[in-house]
Amino acid sequence: MATITTQSIPQTKTTPAEKRRLLLLMGPPVLALLLFFLLPLGVMALYTFQTGTLGGEMSWSLETYGRFWENTALHRLLWRSTIVSFQTSLWCILLSYPIAYYLVFRAGDRRMTLLTLIIIPAWTSYLLRILAWKLILGTEGLLNTFLLWAGWIDEPSPILLFSKTAVIVTLVYVWVPFVALPIFAALERMDKRLLEAAADLGSPPWYSFLRITLPLSLPGVLAGFLSVFIPTLGEYVTPLLVGGVNGIMYGNLIQDQFVRALNWPLGSLMSLVMLVALLPLFFLFRKSDQVLQ
Amino acid sequence: MINADKPQRKFSLSLGATYFALFTLFMYLPIALLVIFSFNDSPTLTFPLNGFTLKWYKALWENQELVTAVSNSLLVGVLSSLVATALGTMAALGVIRFDFRGKTLFLSVAAMPLVIPAVVMGVAMLIVFTHVGIPLTLWTVGIGHVIINAPYAMLIVAARLAGFEEHVEEAAMDLGADYWATLWRVTLPMSAPALAAAFLSSFTTSLDEFAVTFFLVGSDTTLPVYLYSQLRFPSRLPLVVTLAAIMMVISVFIVIVVEKLRKMAN
Amino acid sequence: MNRLTWWKLALTVSAILLLVSCDGSNENTAGSGDTAVTPDNSTLNVFEWSGYELPEFWAQFADQHPDTNVDFSFFGEDAEAFAKLQTGYQTDLFHPCSSWWQLYVDNGLVQPLDESRLQNLKDIPESLLAYGRINGQLYFVPWEWGYESILVRTDKVDTIPTSWNDLWNPEYAGHVAIYDSGETQHVVGALVLGYDPYATTPEQNEAIVQKLTELKPNLLTYWTDYTEIVQLVASGDVWIAGNAWPDTLVLLQDEGVPVEYITPTEGRMGYVCGFGIPAKAQHVDLAYDYLNAVTSVDATTFLINEYGYGAANSQAIAGADPDTVALLQLNDSAILQSTIFYESVTPEQREIFVSDWDRVKAAP
Repeated sequence: MATITTQSIPQTKTTPAEKRRLLLLMGPPVLALLLFFLLPLGVMALYTFQTGTLGGEMSWSLETYGRFWENTALHRLLWRSTIVSFQTSLWCILLSYPIAYYLVFRAGDRRMTLLTLIIIPAWTSYLLRILAWKLILGTEGLLNTFLLWAGWIDEPSPILLFSKTAVIVTLVYVWVPFVALPIFAALERMDKRLLEAAADLGSPPWYSFLRITLPLSLPGVLAGFLSVFIPTLGEYVTPLLVGGVNGIMYGNLIQDQFVRALNWPLGSLMSLVMLVALLPLFFLFRKSDQVLQ
Repeated sequence: MINADKPQRKFSLSLGATYFALFTLFMYLPIALLVIFSFNDSPTLTFPLNGFTLKWYKALWENQELVTAVSNSLLVGVLSSLVATALGTMAALGVIRFDFRGKTLFLSVAAMPLVIPAVVMGVAMLIVFTHVGIPLTLWTVGIGHVIINAPYAMLIVAARLAGFEEHVEEAAMDLGADYWATLWRVTLPMSAPALAAAFLSSFTTSLDEFAVTFFLVGSDTTLPVYLYSQLRFPSRLPLVVTLAAIMMVISVFIVIVVEKLRKMAN
Repeated sequence: MNRLTWWKLALTVSAILLLVSCDGSNENTAGSGDTAVTPDNSTLNVFEWSGYELPEFWAQFADQHPDTNVDFSFFGEDAEAFAKLQTGYQTDLFHPCSSWWQLYVDNGLVQPLDESRLQNLKDIPESLLAYGRINGQLYFVPWEWGYESILVRTDKVDTIPTSWNDLWNPEYAGHVAIYDSGETQHVVGALVLGYDPYATTPEQNEAIVQKLTELKPNLLTYWTDYTEIVQLVASGDVWIAGNAWPDTLVLLQDEGVPVEYITPTEGRMGYVCGFGIPAKAQHVDLAYDYLNAVTSVDATTFLINEYGYGAANSQAIAGADPDTVALLQLNDSAILQSTIFYESVTPEQREIFVSDWDRVKAAP
């Protein structure tokens, strides 16, 4: 991902004309962000101080906070969702690092084309790719048909579909191209001469990798990890379609609260809690992104 | 030394290439499956395959709801992408060419929609729209898409702007052109590939957006929301799959174009 | 090709897309609720449960208005429908169930019905109509009543369940699916524990949560749409479907799947649903015509035959397929007497049902 540094070419004293230009240029974006991003988040935060349901009586109170505090099952679900996101992100890194490495160090001139080749599926319909995985994991799907044919199981197994594992597999599939990109970028920018120097000094390739390549690629790894981890924490579509009973994630209950329970205060509080928990990670993400540049 | 490396390199080469090939296969398998089943003559999506048919493609063409959903998505996609690109470009110009207090703050906030979980975005916007009394329509969906896409548009255009010198603009202004004319006739045309890339990137995202759209949609659906509702109907599944195959092909085309543009932009 | 050509290509593509989308969708954006009230007779928007869009249900309307496009949109659960309407969803006719009717009226979301315009009202027994009369006004026309009970794949299980408690039988582990609704599961839990579902104490609610959490190891998944559960039972993934509606039974039997619909010892559950016209409906005249079409004898007889529901229109059962009637025991008054129908609940009660259910879902 391209980044913007906060340093710019030094300006001379800002003239009124320049001030006007800045206002005109930055005005609409800032306004849009304020009205349609910050304001909604603010109103959502305000809702947490109310109690009641849509269509019923709403009143100002801290009861919603109390309810959330007491509801330890919700906390544990948030924790379990964090684990799922973590595992997903980890697998994404493990699977895409070799790809990025191969592209940068082995693929030569064709590497951009090959990179594009992997990115293309990521830009096709998300929902439909999940549907396709349902086809693969389902009882009469590809995987079961194959396992039955190979004789490894006697009966088709529905467990592959409605489970936490199904959620992780599907999420990894959806996000892995997005992780390959930052790692690729980090490895690409690396000064290859360092490796040549190391080789000249007698360092075996695996040692150079451990001491030079890997550390230098870490900002990319971190950026990739976070760019999966943060959004998947709030995932609700994948768990809804393939998660069954055990694959349910925190995001599902937020959606539930809004659409089924009509408990907007609690839904808002749950969202806010997740946002606040993600905030430090978000700044870490910005930092790692900047280091990449 | 180099000779000693060779055998190992050859081994890693095939290992790496094999992994890459397998990986690519993994990525394309579900897509390939969808395309295969779109030609399969059977109402259910199970193996073994039944026979080649084009009837799903024909049925798709005749499905009125689907055509409406597609045109809604296209409308929202084009309009919201235009706005997102415009806003992103303006912000990029401001951030790259000017120095002002609060730039870091602005950048942090502007980057947030990129990583905020979709459910939170959708929910927050739903609350505000309902509270203010704005009915949920394609307009609210469009606004949601603008907020999602404008930050990335900004990044794409900013990367381009940072790449070439201000001197060009200064030179044009020294020759008497005013700032806005310079922007319009010099800067923007020179950034055209980035602008197009930003637009197309917003467009493809908008076309596929479900998670936030779900909360903001009214009685006029977009394609992803329509698809989701169809996922519940087993009898309509073949149609959905066929649509998927078509959309995949279109997305591939658009992505290739974006990549070419981005390469030119750098 | 150089960069300028690529740029032109991209712009051309965008322009074409813009033109294409402008062609087909002007009426969609224009008619989105914020323009004039003059109704055009080109579209009728109906917000329905999936399955009721079949043309046989509104054949009379289609004959009457051959040029009108009936646009169906679907919901899977009453709460979803309410959330949508409360947040400004635009539609002309919708089909919620009776335990929610009071809430719609209290929130001003429906308009009172003009009984003189409803041709088939005379055939609906007053006992059912009473559900739809709120504050002395008729707001909803009851259309169907149905059972909610346990459906079982007889070829996959050794013991056929006889009680709601049998859902917990470890024999079925991993092959049970239940409806994702807090209200429904609260009633099931109450029935199993012997409580009155609509008068539970906080301690009893806790017991229900505990009991429902113990069910989780037996579950494959929660279902939200009836076609989902039909598919799961047909494929054999689900052996026991809790909270199945009669249409599931009829559809599966038609496909030759060996299933049976149980009358648990505690009694079946039941519901009444019907149509209402939203307060902000734009095509009210068309809505009345549709109502008359859908409440006609032909349509309601089709309802019985196709899905095995009971029809509010008392004339319908005479022409219904006797096998279907027998299959669903629609004429069996003993079963009807022991059925626990959904009752109207206050938002506060409902909130408890749903948040308890969310606790069950969140539990590990």
